[in-house]
Parts: sequence; C-alpha cells; structure tokens
Amino acid sequence: MRRVFAIALNTFKETIRDRILGVIVLFALAMIAGSLWLASISLDEAGRMMKDFGLVAVTLFGLVVAVFVGASLVHKEVEKRTVFVIFSKPVGRAEFLWGKFLGLCATLFVVVAAMGAFLFATTWYVAHAPSASILLAILLIYLQLVVVVAVTMLFATFTSPILASVLGVCVFVAGQLSHNVFSLTKLGHGPLVKVASWVVFYAVPDLSAVDVKASVVGEDVARWSSVAFWSAYLAAYVVLALLVASWAFRRKEF
Amino acid sequence: MARRVLVALVAAACLAAIVGFQSTRVVKAASSPRVFVPSPRFYLDFSPSFRTSIADAYWLYTVQYYGEHLNTDQRFDSLGPMLDLVTSLSPHFRRAYYFGAFALIDARRPDVSYELLKRGYTANPGDWHFPYYLGFFAYTFGPQGAGARAAAAWYSKAAETPGRPDFVPRLAAVLFAKGGEKSKAIAMWASVYTDGDKYSRARAVKEIGKLLPAEKQARMKAVAKLRDLMPPVQFDQLVADLFPGYY
Repeated sequence: MRRVFAIALNTFKETIRDRILGVIVLFALAMIAGSLWLASISLDEAGRMMKDFGLVAVTLFGLVVAVFVGASLVHKEVEKRTVFVIFSKPVGRAEFLWGKFLGLCATLFVVVAAMGAFLFATTWYVAHAPSASILLAILLIYLQLVVVVAVTMLFATFTSPILASVLGVCVFVAGQLSHNVFSLTKLGHGPLVKVASWVVFYAVPDLSAVDVKASVVGEDVARWSSVAFWSAYLAAYVVLALLVASWAFRRKEF
Repeated sequence: MARRVLVALVAAACLAAIVGFQSTRVVKAASSPRVFVPSPRFYLDFSPSFRTSIADAYWLYTVQYYGEHLNTDQRFDSLGPMLDLVTSLSPHFRRAYYFGAFALIDARRPDVSYELLKRGYTANPGDWHFPYYLGFFAYTFGPQGAGARAAAAWYSKAAETPGRPDFVPRLAAVLFAKGGEKSKAIAMWASVYTDGDKYSRARAVKEIGKLLPAEKQARMKAVAKLRDLMPPVQFDQLVADLFPGYY
C-alpha cells in the first residue's frame, strides 16, 4: 500500500505541474466566466444559465483532462524508459497501475474542485444566493470522470494513447446513452441484437445514473438514495476496470 | 530595421482586413425567419444528461431570434417550434412558457400561446401564473362569451392555487361581474403588466393606452380603478408609464 501511495504522490506531483493542465483549467475558468455574458442575454434567467453552462464546462474540460492525461500516463513512463527503473525495485505492475490511477484522480480532484469552486462563487454572485446543489453535482461529475480515467487507463494498457483517448471519449458518450441500449434490449429485433444490447448494456458504465444537472436547475428532483446506490455501482465498475487493466498490464511486454 | 517595419506593415494590413471584413456584417440583413429546429425527441433520446443545457442554449437562441425579428421584419415563423423544443427538453422552465406565450402574439398565434400555457400548467400544476395567464388569453383572444367564461374559470383556478398574490381573487371577481367589457380588458392587460417580463409589460402599456379614453381626466379615472387589482409598486410604475412626468 505504501508503494502505491508513493507512486500516486509522484504521479500527482508530475501531472499537477504539467503546463497543459494549467491551460485547460484557465480555459475552463474563462468559459465559466463567459457564461456571465450569456446570462446577461437570458431574460432574467442568469442563475439558471450560469449553473447549467458552468456544469457543462466543468464536465467537458474535466473529460479532456481525464482522457488525455489518463491515456498517456503509463505510455509516457514506458517511452521514457523510467518504467524499467521502477520495476527494478520491489514494485508490482498492478501497484504501479493503481498508483498512477490514484495520482491522476488526485490531480483531477484538484482541477475539478478549482473549477467547481469558481462556478459556485460566480453563481452565488449572479443569483445572489449560494447553491449547495452545485457542489453535489460537481462531486458526481468527478465520480463520472474517475470512471472515465479507469476505463481510459484500461484501454491504454493494450492500445496506443491516441486510440485509448478516443475510446475513453466514446465510453463517456456511450455512458450517457445507456438507457437507449437498455431500450434496445427490450425492443431490439432478433436474438443477436438483443444479446449484443445486453452485452453493451452491462459493459458500458451507466454514467447518466449519477447525473444531477437537471435537478440543479430545478428541472428534476434528485433522489439522493438512488444517487448513492449508483455511485456505489460506479465505484465497483472502477475497481473491476482496474483489475482487468492490471491483468492486461502484467502480460504486457515492453 | 526595414524588416521590422515590413512585419509591422503586414500586421497592420491584416488587422485592417479583419476589421474591414467584420464591419461588413453590421449592414447584413436579418436572418431568415424560417430556421431549422430539430425535434425534441432527438435530444431527449441522444443527450438526456445534457437536455437542460441544450434547452438553455435554445432559449438564448429563441430570445435572440425574437429580438432580432421584432426589430426588423416582424416574422416569427419558427418561434412556435423553438418554444416547443425548449419546453419539451425542460418542462419546468417556467419563463420559457410565460415569455413564449406573449411573444407568440406577435407571431399572430395566440392559439399556440394558449396550448403552450396549457402544457405548462400540466407540467407545473402548483404554479398560479399558468391559470392566471390562461385566463388572460381565453378572455382576450377566445371567442366572445365562451372565452370570457373560460377566462373566469381559469382565474378562479388561479385564485385557488396556494401562493397566489392577493390581487388574483379580486381580478377573478371583476371578470365574474356583468358588463364593463372595456374595463375588464384593461384589467386583463394590467394583470399582464403586473407579472410580465419587459416585453409583455411594454405590450401591456401599449394595449392599455389604446383601451383608455382619450380625455386625460377620464383616462386617470379609469386607471385609478386598477389600484385594487395590482400591487402598489406595479400600479405606480404603470401610472408612470402611462402618464410620463406624472410623478
């Protein structure tokens, strides 16, 4: 465990210093601040516009970090040959992968927290009232992004970083459409379509289950017990994805 | 030195070209009143997690579309589908219904306004604004007689809804009274002024101005009757709008 944390800490320090990360965060903050302008032309709906567009900005920029940093994390170590130095010490491949994952999750937490705090403050300023639901929505966006990191790292263990990034984005999109796949399992014609739909339904993480953006803008009422249940489901998904990634990484030849 | 001057000249020329190209857009005519509006079903099926964000983006587009065509060709062919899209993706976005209902009067489709508000009321049954505005539309644009009866029924519903302001039952009482059709119409538009956005308030001032008698004393007398049907702040604002320089 100590070795995992040592790698995680090192990964955190390495990724947080990355200049590209700073640029992405600055871009996200600029986009959230840009929502202020959109809010001004919304006919007295400034608070709603800020919350909605702000949460989308946090999701999309967080996704960029999760996918692109997640895909290159392991590959970079292999390319720079530093992975051999690490494996010459008593560090297992699975420990290395879990350490990398936790380190990136810590970086992602800092990034998402910074964007979330800025959005919270800006919305407070615009709507003249704090909105605690924004903080909860940010936390659930973070959970979705952690799943994307795990899946992207899984892909990165057996494909190139670019392909892993593309697949990571695809999983995010597919995860938002999980209910459509579920409909196909019921309405699909022919046993092949039905079986394929069931496989996809179980294989793709249902990210929309923990999405509360609509409730933040007053469109739905979030059922927190259900959100807690689905959060546990996503946590299980992350662990499983990393176990498979560890298995694949153990068999990888450098 | 000469190279630096050359670079500066090229940069200045590019800058002038950019400003020149962009400034030609200022004189561009208004965009077409018919625009492509996708089906709400498409977004509901393919981006459920972002449906409110898409509704908000279309809301901004709708406000922009309305403002642009209000100041130019007065054609609002796509306003109905746009509002349908916004409210289908976000059924609890109340302002979209309120604003849309009054904006659709400019599109000469109060019937669509009425349907839009009815849909809004179904999605938000606890909001007194919907029966209140439905009463207004039934009275102002409905068939004579039946429209007034429907309006009275809607105002009664608004009066029974928890959270409604005190003037709503008084307004319902005015509608139930016999005769004084012009006073009733003025009261209806005053109700729009009380609770509307800047566009519907401007319209209400215009319509009340048309309905009021021409003579100043008689006008003031007619407006004074609205005192009990509106909150004091809104009443004072309406007087200021109808009689500039009164205060």
